[in-house]
Amino acid sequence: MLVPPTLVAAVRALAHDTVLGFTFVRPDGSERHIPFADICAEAERRAGHFVARGLEKGQRVALVIPDGDEFVLSFLGATFAGLVPVPIYPQLSFKNVAGYHETVRHIVKASGARFLLTTETTRPYVDPVLQPSPSGEPSTLDHIEIVGAFAGPAPEDAVVRARAVDVHPDDLAFLQFTSGSTSRPKGVAVTHGNLAANSEAFMIHGLGKDSSVDKGVSWLPLFHDMGLIGFVIGPLFTDIPVVFLPTASFVRAPRLWLEAIHKHRGTITYAPNFAYALVSKRIKEKEVEQYDLSCLRRAGCGAEPIQAKTLREFASKLAPAKFDPRAFLPSYGMAEATLAVSFVPRMTGVRTDIIDARALEKKSAEVASPDAIEKAAAGDASLVRELVNCGRAFPEHEIAIVDEDGKRLADRQVGEIITRGPSICQGYYQEPELTAGVFKDGWLHTGDLGYLVDGEVFICGRAKDIIIVRGRNFYPSDIEWTVSELPGIRRGNVVAFSVAIDAGGNPTLDGAGDDQLVVCAEGFQSDAAALSETIKSTVAAEHGLSVHEVVIVPQGSLPRTSSGKPQRRKTKAMYQANELPRAQPVQRGEAADVSAPVS
Amino acid sequence: MFEKTATEIVEKDFKTIEENTVISDLGIDSLGMLEIVGSMERQLKIQIPDEALAGIQTVRDLLEVVDKRQSA
Repeated sequence: MLVPPTLVAAVRALAHDTVLGFTFVRPDGSERHIPFADICAEAERRAGHFVARGLEKGQRVALVIPDGDEFVLSFLGATFAGLVPVPIYPQLSFKNVAGYHETVRHIVKASGARFLLTTETTRPYVDPVLQPSPSGEPSTLDHIEIVGAFAGPAPEDAVVRARAVDVHPDDLAFLQFTSGSTSRPKGVAVTHGNLAANSEAFMIHGLGKDSSVDKGVSWLPLFHDMGLIGFVIGPLFTDIPVVFLPTASFVRAPRLWLEAIHKHRGTITYAPNFAYALVSKRIKEKEVEQYDLSCLRRAGCGAEPIQAKTLREFASKLAPAKFDPRAFLPSYGMAEATLAVSFVPRMTGVRTDIIDARALEKKSAEVASPDAIEKAAAGDASLVRELVNCGRAFPEHEIAIVDEDGKRLADRQVGEIITRGPSICQGYYQEPELTAGVFKDGWLHTGDLGYLVDGEVFICGRAKDIIIVRGRNFYPSDIEWTVSELPGIRRGNVVAFSVAIDAGGNPTLDGAGDDQLVVCAEGFQSDAAALSETIKSTVAAEHGLSVHEVVIVPQGSLPRTSSGKPQRRKTKAMYQANELPRAQPVQRGEAADVSAPVS
Repeated sequence: MFEKTATEIVEKDFKTIEENTVISDLGIDSLGMLEIVGSMERQLKIQIPDEALAGIQTVRDLLEVVDKRQSA
């Protein structure tokens, strides 16, 4: 192994470094730099405080800490004491408070955490979780404390006991609760060995890290895998300094991301597709000219479907700032595989596969004909799909494509992506049934559909959400993307699914009937009729697919996950049960009534 | 001003905004909301601290916070 065996060993190995470390930018722009030596000392001190509270190795502790520095130091303190941190996202404003309490209650109960650490400002948002739930279920939490209570030296004997805690590669390192667009959050059990293996994979084999020049810059939330493992844990295993910005600062002013890369001479950054789009949309030309991004060697992209168009726009917009498009590093990964599954080779940038849309409907990824590509370039987007190459599996890891029966498929055949290797987690914490459905014989069944070409993987969409209409396969994300490009529709406010429709044109609950496409989008009542028509004609033009029904629902009424993504399956269930609120009740034959002469 | 900014950011036509409208009922998620806050900060040349955003649920809540920063 090229990295230390556990996170604790990794941090201790940096204890001599009094210069390089983590820099936390606060919301007001001021910075707190903590050298690795101090991070190690602080983790030891906080470990002592945890031990002094009677917490023992293996026990879970919930962390609801919005400030990056306090979160990282508390997380490492718990780790040093052999505890299993359970990061929980802090309450966001503008949201339903009861829903947040329910999520925290669920995570606390599922993880078995009896102790929750938070901050003074966040405490009022988690305190209600100590009380019985609205349905009368008693709280499973014993104690909430604020990080302020960890100030000052820990009792001497507790520090000694914490130092004596032996942490092994097979020990649980933390529980990564995934929001899941279909179900309640479940905790992925990540061991120290998983963290070491994946850190080696993406930092060394993937990013080709160079400790003498590299510096990470990240605004990613620290309670999610990409921010926490990608920019806290991976860099600690491989001795890389990082600058952290608050997520909210980036969203409010996306230029701050570029400014931090410019100012700190950042070499590595990473973001989901939407963030690159946000920068292109918001950044002004005269701002771009102020930056020199020639230092950026790696600009990773992952965590949601990657759109080549978005990355190309970013590259052209940022060209005056000397952004090198070869730095783009499309990748594929998920929490169940610790973080990363595949990266493209370094400095190859965005490479795409332009495939025949009709063949893809039959689960075959054939290279589109030159004629089709030409027509697509001229505006007929329905003939081809452009998918981004997400690279190959890391050393000691493997990716394969299988059909419904588990049989291996050949190159360019679309099936479920499965993967195995030392980064694959043990399963979902204390959820044997869920685990058995996803982790089979050492292979992680990702639930994603895709195909391989010479070992490089392309992602088509989620297997469970696939829309099959008359034997043709469609990916809801493709249709949702098309619809969300229309004026009056915001991305993330559209859901597409298929539903069985009986001879009378009504949805059936038992799946009897023909599968048809339904699109639900949030919009205003006054626009509903016009919007429905536009959506129908656009989907027909771009996908050659007729929409059975477009439902325009009032703003904010699509069911969503805790992270704000619309829930396709829940929306579908509501549609089937006729429970979707409609901005405009659609009555069949309504158009005829309107056009009928009144007198 | 909220209506104008929200329309620009979210690219939707908000015709029915009232002061007691709950922001999430407009279909604006937390990311969209932070974009709106950022844009208002730039236009009014003010800074709204994160703590001040924590309790915001309605349009009125937000406008009160903005007023306070403007007069500060």
